[in-house]
Amino acid sequence: MRSLVVLDGTVGTADRQARALGAFLRDGSTGHPAAETLVFFSDDRDMGRLVEQAPTRGVRLVKTAERRPDAIVDILSAAARDAENQLFIFTGGYSGTELATRLAHRTGGTVMTDALSIEIGPERLTCRRPVYSNHMVGSFELAARPWCVSIDVSWDDEAAAARREHVVLSSTDETGAAGGPDETPFEDLELVEPPPTGDLEQSRFLVVAGAGAGSRDGVERIAAAARRMGAEFAVSRPVAMSAWAPMDRLIGVSGTRTAPELCIVAGASGAPALYWGIEKAGFIAAIDLDERAPIAKSADAVILDDGVAVIEELAEIIAPKRE
Amino acid sequence: MNAMRILVRFKVTPDYEALREADWAAGEGDCSDRSGAAEADARAGSGVASGVETRYVPRILDCFDESALEMALRMRDATASDGVPVDLGAISVGGREVEPHLKTLQALGYERATRVHVDAGLDFAPTVTASIIARYVQETNKTDLLMLGCRNGPDDAGTLPFLVAEELGWPCVTQVTEVMVLSDDRVRVAHMVDDGLLRVTVRLPCVLGVGNAVVARLRVPTLTARLARREAHIEHVQTSDLGIDVVSGLAGESYVLTGLEVVRRDRSGTIIGGQTPREKAQTLFDSHLKSLMGKL
Ligand SMILES: Cc1cc2nc3c(=O)[nH]c(=O)nc-3n(C[C@H](O)[C@H](O)[C@H](O)COP(=O)(O)OP(=O)(O)OC[C@H]3O[C@@H](n4cnc5c(N)ncnc54)[C@H](O)[C@@H]3O)c2cc1C
Repeated sequence: MRSLVVLDGTVGTADRQARALGAFLRDGSTGHPAAETLVFFSDDRDMGRLVEQAPTRGVRLVKTAERRPDAIVDILSAAARDAENQLFIFTGGYSGTELATRLAHRTGGTVMTDALSIEIGPERLTCRRPVYSNHMVGSFELAARPWCVSIDVSWDDEAAAARREHVVLSSTDETGAAGGPDETPFEDLELVEPPPTGDLEQSRFLVVAGAGAGSRDGVERIAAAARRMGAEFAVSRPVAMSAWAPMDRLIGVSGTRTAPELCIVAGASGAPALYWGIEKAGFIAAIDLDERAPIAKSADAVILDDGVAVIEELAEIIAPKRE
Repeated sequence: MNAMRILVRFKVTPDYEALREADWAAGEGDCSDRSGAAEADARAGSGVASGVETRYVPRILDCFDESALEMALRMRDATASDGVPVDLGAISVGGREVEPHLKTLQALGYERATRVHVDAGLDFAPTVTASIIARYVQETNKTDLLMLGCRNGPDDAGTLPFLVAEELGWPCVTQVTEVMVLSDDRVRVAHMVDDGLLRVTVRLPCVLGVGNAVVARLRVPTLTARLARREAHIEHVQTSDLGIDVVSGLAGESYVLTGLEVVRRDRSGTIIGGQTPREKAQTLFDSHLKSLMGKL
């Protein structure tokens, strides 16, 4: 039995994919059979770098059209016909979900997304992943093969970046396989760089506003206080959905995951889907009117009072010390 | 010009944020004895199908599905004056809890409202759900564009849009944040990808999975609209009409949930005392934040 790790180098996230897959292979999976990496690329100039990043020693290169997950699924389906290839591991995020799901459907296998860990047995694969909006972790047993697993986006580790020898086992060109423009239902692709969220990922001091801010004005006052304190500013889903702040400020399972030294949460109840975005914080202070809000238990310190008022007072105290 | 026929699939779910810590803890443990027939029984009709008791919790529209429902209304509004006529349908697979939502949608202008009767819990059975939706779309042959939320609890796997699309052999775009109708067979879509936001024109038929669109709330119908549509017909479909046997489908689902554990996130939760916001802020700073300032 062999597992194939899929690195999609036709999109701009290959570095991150490689780090995440490397970390998962090292710490997230047990009972692993021999693994190889299938590297997809569309630009020859990327080839060398992608091989170097591959999280396994053995690498197979496949050239394919850019941004054509359908073409990648076709190529993977063909690879799955080799009975040795029983486990496919994909990166976390949107593209991993798509590739794993489609491949499993086409091959009669089983898909499991957002894997926190897997245990590979001779007959079954066991996988743990978040369920119930991150309130719980479920264990699943997968029967039908190939097992198509995409890993949770929390997998990422700088230290897992590949520093190993690689052997290129094969190299093929499948650019023709995607079909011409007449065959695709997709036209006029235009990639818009989104406002970067890197400031949130890198943030050491983060202020989060939730629906308890009460209004756009409340959210803006919290944002202004955050700026005075030299903190980055983020929001919960209801705040972003009400357009009280831009969508790139969203943290949580649908947004960015952060790891600040200090995080101050004002008026967010601490639902697991949000909390996931701040759980790596060193210290969490929460301001909420309700002592029964989940955040009151999952913060280090809690102030029971109005979020906007307290944040503005904190800004008065902290701003002068941060100049 | 032909109308663009949009079908929106939605799910009614328990409001998980309304469950207490003890409810989650009670759901913890081994689910593996619920295999085979026991699993089908456990799934049938109860809220404890997967181990967590949710029967007493209010039901809400899944948040991503709610965005999809409102987005389709906005597409209709945007084309009302000059563009392509849009014909709206809504479908949900489930029990009686979906009916009030179908009524609301009818009052908002959804012409077709369909409930596929299923009593068994399909919470961890996305392939069964996908085949029901796909079969309905094929049998009725009245859909150009199928919209649904990107992910649904409690499974949260995000696989459903792709599974339905694969069943239908249609293209699929997920994490959609905006849709514009270009003609009766083309839409321009903005959707999030891992490295940015992609705009793309898609030829219909297709499946769109709605993501973080800034279209959070479904509008509320007026009383007059509700009254006007009071007698509107809800289509009731049995899975057997679609040639689907849910029990054997569940037994054949290629994965089983075998256990659940609560994710513990407790920290010390020290309450900071004081009379005024100023006093509390000062105490928090002195007792905890001051020592952290050097690290920021
Ligand atoms: C699949 C899925 C994905 C999701 N992804 C995300 C995500 O990525 N990010 C996210 O944030 N959510 C996400 N959610 C939603 C999440 O479950 C919660 O609904 C959301 O986080 C709640 O936001 P909130 O805390 O701002 O609002 P609420 O839960 O309404 O909390 C408001 C809080 O403010 C307090 N409050 C009220 N007035 C004041 C005041 N004057 N001063 C101080 N406190 C006050 C209240 O006591 C309450 O605790 C997701 C949900 C699902 C189903």
